[in-house]
Amino acid sequence: MLSRVAENLYWISRYVERAENVARLLDVGFHLELDAAGLDGDAAGTDPAPIASVLSILACRDSFERAHGPGPLDREAVLRFLTFDRANNQSILSMLGHARENARATQETISADAWLQLNRLHFYVRGRKARRRFLDSPPRFLQGVKRACILFDGLVDGTLPRTEIYHFLQLGRHLERASQISRILSVKLHGLREGGPVVESPLRIVHWSSLLWSCAAYEAYLRDYHDRVDPEGVVRYLILDPEFPRSIRFCVARCLESLRAISSGDGYGSEAERCLGRLDSELHYIAPSEIFDRGLGSFLSGVQDSCNKIGDEIHRAYFFT
Amino acid sequence: MAMTPQDDRLFSRYGLTGYDEMFVAPGRLRPHYAPLHHRLVSLGPEEIAHRHRAADLMMRNQGITFTVYGREQGVERIIPFDPVPRLISAPEWDQIERGLTQRVRALNLFIHDVYHERHILRDRVVPLELILGASGYRRECVGLRVPRDIYIHVSGIDLIRDAEGTFLVLEDNCRTPSGVSYVLKNRQVMKQVFPLLFAAHNIRPIDDYTTNLLAVLRHIGPPGVDEPVVAVLTPGVYNSAYFEHSYLARRMGVELVEGRDLFFDSGQLFMRTIRGPQRVDVLYRRIDDDFLDPMTFRSDSQLGVPGLVAAYRSGRLGLANAIGTGMADDKGVYPFVPEIIKYYLKEDPILPNVETFRPQIPSHRQHILENLEKLVVKAVDASGGYGMLIGPASTAEQREEFARRVTDNPRGYIAQPTISLSQHPTLIDDHLEGRHVDLRPFVLYGETIKVLAGGLTRVALPQGSLVVNSSQGGGTKDTWVLRGGPPKRPEAN
Repeated sequence: MLSRVAENLYWISRYVERAENVARLLDVGFHLELDAAGLDGDAAGTDPAPIASVLSILACRDSFERAHGPGPLDREAVLRFLTFDRANNQSILSMLGHARENARATQETISADAWLQLNRLHFYVRGRKARRRFLDSPPRFLQGVKRACILFDGLVDGTLPRTEIYHFLQLGRHLERASQISRILSVKLHGLREGGPVVESPLRIVHWSSLLWSCAAYEAYLRDYHDRVDPEGVVRYLILDPEFPRSIRFCVARCLESLRAISSGDGYGSEAERCLGRLDSELHYIAPSEIFDRGLGSFLSGVQDSCNKIGDEIHRAYFFT
Repeated sequence: MAMTPQDDRLFSRYGLTGYDEMFVAPGRLRPHYAPLHHRLVSLGPEEIAHRHRAADLMMRNQGITFTVYGREQGVERIIPFDPVPRLISAPEWDQIERGLTQRVRALNLFIHDVYHERHILRDRVVPLELILGASGYRRECVGLRVPRDIYIHVSGIDLIRDAEGTFLVLEDNCRTPSGVSYVLKNRQVMKQVFPLLFAAHNIRPIDDYTTNLLAVLRHIGPPGVDEPVVAVLTPGVYNSAYFEHSYLARRMGVELVEGRDLFFDSGQLFMRTIRGPQRVDVLYRRIDDDFLDPMTFRSDSQLGVPGLVAAYRSGRLGLANAIGTGMADDKGVYPFVPEIIKYYLKEDPILPNVETFRPQIPSHRQHILENLEKLVVKAVDASGGYGMLIGPASTAEQREEFARRVTDNPRGYIAQPTISLSQHPTLIDDHLEGRHVDLRPFVLYGETIKVLAGGLTRVALPQGSLVVNSSQGGGTKDTWVLRGGPPKRPEAN
């Protein structure tokens, strides 16, 4: 496979994953703000506004302030910035645009079905219909985007043979996902740390639940843990659960699988594979208590650093030939 | 065959001018169009318009677009698709097929001769200076042996019909003609949008095009290579025909490469892959000669590959089409093609040329200058509908300008009588009107010469317009080559 094509494929799925992630975060944030409004206004004061916190998760708070000036965050402005703003690289529109451009340049490799889906989604988000839907109901718009992204993943899954093409798509998708989960956890935990014990505030339970919703993990978590949402359980689930498709461990394992399928032990195995293997074993063997002892924040930033390094090494091994 | 009263709405504003593909005379159908006409009328205007929109949406969603230059980054558009198919009867097609095969065979012999022995030039059948001045002529190809002596692997020869309905060759495209992907896609879309209409006709399939193309490309692989690695070379995603490049690569199951994906090493071309360099044996290149190799041609080209021509010369790379074929589709050479056919094949041309005047001949020049308002004047090295004067639609100022150009540079222009292209029923809003059409069939030359059973019918959408190029606002139609006798009458629905 051409290096250029491999790089395109890897980025297509990273962009789609990011777009889906932004849509989900905003959707959850939107619901959370509605809940907060229904609860006690004071309680909401200490916690970061959920929609605004999406800026931090995506690391684009600075660029937002550059575009809109400092001062209190205007919810509508943040929403627009992250959905339809062409000037913002992290907006849903921009990311789907990038994904589509990459796919257009590689359409002969991905299946016609997958290409059609991405192309259609991009046209939709760019068009008037999407704006109208957004004005009527932001959650409906966001859920539509989310589903459309998942449909793309599904079409990739259901129509592509398990060749390098498929594995580069998986690699991009899961590396992006692992990295996003660690960011979501860092940012949301940072906000929660300052408050009092969970039991005392219904709003804080809402926040912990929202953390699960942000990773599409709420129902799966409850099935596994039965009783109520508790911080340690949430952390353990989102980082270490081996079965849940949006836990860091699960994503890292899929990355490793795909990278191994690509390298198939032909000597191009690379530094990327070594880093991934190491992260994978760490997540496999680490005890939850160890994570808390080490400090959740520093553990998570370690995961993010590894993800970044793995990304760099993938580039070095396959795209710069 | 007579029309019935309920035709009213769909055909109420339909007027006949020149040769009409569907009607012999008002209300009288050509027999092979009868079932189509019947079906269109029974569907009715709303249903046709509805399906037309469905077809557009399909094209859009599938990214079947071309890029219009001019604005900042180029805007992607779909080519307007007209849902009323064009029908070509079996005897008509038989003549076209034989005529194209003959023409392509002769042009191929001609190119080979010009780059080698030059018999035809020595015998003064074609003037030497005409060839040396042709924009597609490449000195670098003199004496160069190309695989299997084939130059024009893929050609698209534009045909029109005059007022009597005779098919004439309007121009030869022997470099890298575009449009075949629209032929294939239009067919797919028609099958989905008008399945029963389709089923009622006995239409020759076109799906084998990409298989045949791949066979042609494999045929020109380097000697000794059993399974040649084939790739399609594109200028990239911003090229107006990118969709086509990508579509053909996909349908052939080969890599689509850009210049930056390739490099030359030890006499051979390689692709940069995730497993390191991989050899490439044959390129279906969709980049013009000038941009192929900065070491041989334009040194400022970012699109090509340094060393590509060296690999080609040494016989370790097959190229389709060969370098230097553009000489044969120079409009200055065009008037000589009937002579070229007679010279090499000792046969009379099956498809005639359009009468053509050459300003280099004094009597022709005088005729041109005196009749500018009746003629179409074309620059010999322009394409895509640029650099033309359409006499009847021109202003005095434009005619003066072209008179000057023709006088200053007689080699640079040809002139032809304005031929009112045949017209075909075309959907305009909610009814049918006659619009001018041409036809670009595609010819493949490998072990044998194969003509794709159909072609791109381009339609000039603005009323009265004779310009069918997509870059000038033209649309396309599906083209059905009918097999055997007249088609069955379709059932209801």
